[in-house]
Amino acid sequence: MRLDLRPTTDASDSPMRSAAPGASRRTGFVDTQTLMAIRNLELRARVVVEGFWSGIHRSPYHGFSVEFTEYRQYSPGDDPRYLDWRLYARSDRYFIKKFEDETNLRCHLLVDNSRSMTFGSTGWTKAEYANTLAATLAYFLYLQGDAVGLLTFDESIRDYLPARHRTGHLRHLMLALEKPAGGRATDLAAPLKRIVEMVRRRGLMVFISDLLAPLETLERNLTSLGACGHDVMLFHVLDPSELTFNFTDASMFLDVESGRNLYIDPASARKEYLRKLEAHCAAARAACQKLGIGYARLATDQPLELALFDFMRERMQRGKSAKQVRR
Amino acid sequence: MSFLTPLFLLGAIAVAAPVLFHLIRRTTRERTVFSSLLFLLPTPPRVTRRSKLENILLLVLRCLVLCLLALAFARPFIQKPTDADKPTGPGARIVILVDTSASMRRGSLWADARAKADEILRATSPVDQVALFTFDRALNRLVTFDTWTQTAAGERAALASKALAETSPGWFPTHLGTALVSAAEALEESKDKLEIVKRRIVLITDLQEGSRLDPLQAYEWPKGIELSVEPVKARRVTNAGVQLVADADEADKKSAETAVRVRVSNSTDSKREQFQVGWASADGKGFAGAPVDVYVPPGQGRIASLPAPPAGNAVDRVLLQGDDEDFDNTAFVIPPEAAKVNVLYLGADAEGDAKQPLHFLKHAFQQTRRHHVQVVARGPGAMLLPADTENTPLAVVTDTVPADRLAVLRRMLDSGHTVFLALRNADAASVLASLAGIDSPGATEARVADYSLLAEIDFQHPLFAPFADPRFSDFTKIHFWKHRRLDITKLPASARVLARFDDLDPALVEVPAGRGRLMVLATCWHPEDSQLALSTKFVPLLYSLLDQSGGLPPQPTQFTVAGDIAFASVGADTNQPITVLKPDASRVTVAKGEANFSQADQPGTYSFTVGAGTKRFAVNLDPAESRTAPMPLDELARFGAALPGLTPDAAKAEANKRVLQNTELEGRQKIWRWLVAAALAVLLLETWLAMWTTRRLTEASDAAAAS
Repeated sequence: MRLDLRPTTDASDSPMRSAAPGASRRTGFVDTQTLMAIRNLELRARVVVEGFWSGIHRSPYHGFSVEFTEYRQYSPGDDPRYLDWRLYARSDRYFIKKFEDETNLRCHLLVDNSRSMTFGSTGWTKAEYANTLAATLAYFLYLQGDAVGLLTFDESIRDYLPARHRTGHLRHLMLALEKPAGGRATDLAAPLKRIVEMVRRRGLMVFISDLLAPLETLERNLTSLGACGHDVMLFHVLDPSELTFNFTDASMFLDVESGRNLYIDPASARKEYLRKLEAHCAAARAACQKLGIGYARLATDQPLELALFDFMRERMQRGKSAKQVRR
Repeated sequence: MSFLTPLFLLGAIAVAAPVLFHLIRRTTRERTVFSSLLFLLPTPPRVTRRSKLENILLLVLRCLVLCLLALAFARPFIQKPTDADKPTGPGARIVILVDTSASMRRGSLWADARAKADEILRATSPVDQVALFTFDRALNRLVTFDTWTQTAAGERAALASKALAETSPGWFPTHLGTALVSAAEALEESKDKLEIVKRRIVLITDLQEGSRLDPLQAYEWPKGIELSVEPVKARRVTNAGVQLVADADEADKKSAETAVRVRVSNSTDSKREQFQVGWASADGKGFAGAPVDVYVPPGQGRIASLPAPPAGNAVDRVLLQGDDEDFDNTAFVIPPEAAKVNVLYLGADAEGDAKQPLHFLKHAFQQTRRHHVQVVARGPGAMLLPADTENTPLAVVTDTVPADRLAVLRRMLDSGHTVFLALRNADAASVLASLAGIDSPGATEARVADYSLLAEIDFQHPLFAPFADPRFSDFTKIHFWKHRRLDITKLPASARVLARFDDLDPALVEVPAGRGRLMVLATCWHPEDSQLALSTKFVPLLYSLLDQSGGLPPQPTQFTVAGDIAFASVGADTNQPITVLKPDASRVTVAKGEANFSQADQPGTYSFTVGAGTKRFAVNLDPAESRTAPMPLDELARFGAALPGLTPDAAKAEANKRVLQNTELEGRQKIWRWLVAAALAVLLLETWLAMWTTRRLTEASDAAAAS
């Protein structure tokens, strides 16, 4: 599978891409504001994916996803139905053919739906952006023939859809993603622990969250996911006002999750807040790096195509390292 | 601007409270929804620029309302100058009265007084009229009003200063009352009836407690004359003075034990209480012999007895040490000379017979410090010498006497002396007849049942005046066994019965004879006749008789500065000029016939020549000058002087008048109404502004919520 995934924008690894209003237009990406104005989530996802493909001048239907990628030698116990007889005729050896559904991903999208995700200063909330991202990835993967599952959570698991690639499954995914976010708090540990128990087969776990919770248990639970053989990618979604804290008026700041009030003067609190936020993000990134987990930080005003780029690049890098290991 | 009730201005302080609360308020109505407070810490309350810009106008308006209300309640008004504040045309008439009494000799008091006087003189304006007087016991006019006005305007102050510089404090006491009365009268004399001028007495004095103010009591202080006092204060306040205590005429034998008694008085503001007093050495700076320690608390006095001065030291002064001022630390002492007085006794008593009248008479008259009384007894056979009648103011007769002695007695009576006839028997009444110029007094022996008592004593008579006190007026303990009865009708009409027996017979009769008098006692004092000689009344009765006879003249040798000294009292002969040597070695010659010496203007020992000898007398400082503690100013007001602000009624009236004027002024101006109206207007503006601000905030928050 060869894809030219070089983005036409800055090739920096930093996920902090400029979210200037005209960036998407310059780069040809769909304007986020326009995108988020689309009410239908599936349509929104389709726009992003098609935009992504048109952005890289490549039809998304020249499916690499229909070609099988590898043979493996027959082992006693394998299902003989999948023996490749043609290869046997040529090689006089028994090989099992890995079909698209086996060679394609089994991806689970873990979407944070806690109340903190309901915050948004750009006109849409983080939850809407995360759901759009999840829908985009689901659509993208579905088009590739990958099985996509969904797990939404707040302080506990809300919805779970196993990874499938069936007719109507994408629709179910979209419906689940369209549910409004709620919850009282964000608990990263419980859902991750639960997903480890629920998903036995290895696959890709895409974790979409604002990570506004203590990170002490995150590393442990991500480690568990990795130990189960899952590939994990983490999308850290934050609102631009959370990233810059560009408030000016001293006022009572209300926590949407806990309902707590604090008198905050942004002028005096900004510096310390940004320091702590960066430390938090750095800790999350370091934990992901340590565990070999892909990490991308997204602001909700960034084009979602960039998220796809991050996703694909991460997949490419994983594919290369996996081949190197097999060899 | 002034305020009728300025205390209400304190209400403006309440403005600070809302300002303070405004600055430190923590709460804000603005709310900002945020995803998580995970990375945020609460901000300490402080003023932000935005909050100042938004609310400062409201705060200012609210504070302005409070301030306007506080001002309104304080009832402000604009003071206008009154006529009383405007200076009147012709200027002031001022008497500067400077104290030159002895107490002003202390320390730098005189220099300070001169400096104050010079300052006042320099402050006068060309239209003022000033007189400069000094005073101690009397007023001394250095510069009069006429002298002042006749001098060129630029030279007046210098003239007065020069006159004052040539003066210095003397030794006289402080007759402040007299001086103030004189100064007030001087202003009254010069009062110009055509125009009203401000009249003032400026008193420069140390205002010591010893100042005499009595004349002010009977003086009605003239209206319009103000007294202002410029006190001068001594830097060192401890002052004690020494004065001689008048000696009792005690028996001479006691004089060896105590030479002199002195009183040490300590002023009320003194800081020390221990002093030494003793005879002064020859140079007058130290003690001759050991001094006596005296403890005198402030405001009190103590009497100390000094022994006789050391032998060989001719000392004439007592010295006090231990205080800060020495102007009153010396008391000059001239011991009195005992006067020799003879009492002639004509009777048939035997010398040494203890039962006879002569014996008791001799023992009654003691030799004292002031008088040596000698009884010269001449019996019927003894010759009566001329010297026997010299210095003999009193003759005592108890028996009949021959004609020559009667002549002597008559001469004594003609000279103004006294003959005391005690009727030892009825025959002795012939002496009465001879001396009184009557035929016969008709004296007979009275029949006394047991004893007679003295009754109906005339205590108004000078002879019995010393016994007038009820403690001494009881003669009932004296029993008279015998007495002679006199027929009072046969006595001269001028005879006066001074005492009677209880049977109404005359006991003591006074008969004027010649220039003297004949005192007839109808009994005798020896035990055969009565208990009189044995009673406690006998000796004082005899001394009273002798005193009435002129036999005990006062012999003062201690005088005070400023008193006139009668030459007769010091034994000077005024029939010729008298030259008196003063303590400063100057001599004053007093013309013949002058009865008094009035130049005793300094303390010390004065002397003059009498015949072949010299007599001395001492002059000391007035004890009142040692009371140097300053008296309170209102003491003068109590005596009626019009001190500005100190006279309670005047001060109160002035204050009331001022309050009424201010109240009337404020009532006319009514500035408080404008202030209340302004407060209401500001309140309306604040209300409207608050409503507008709230509405604007509400709209903004609604818009934010909607978006």
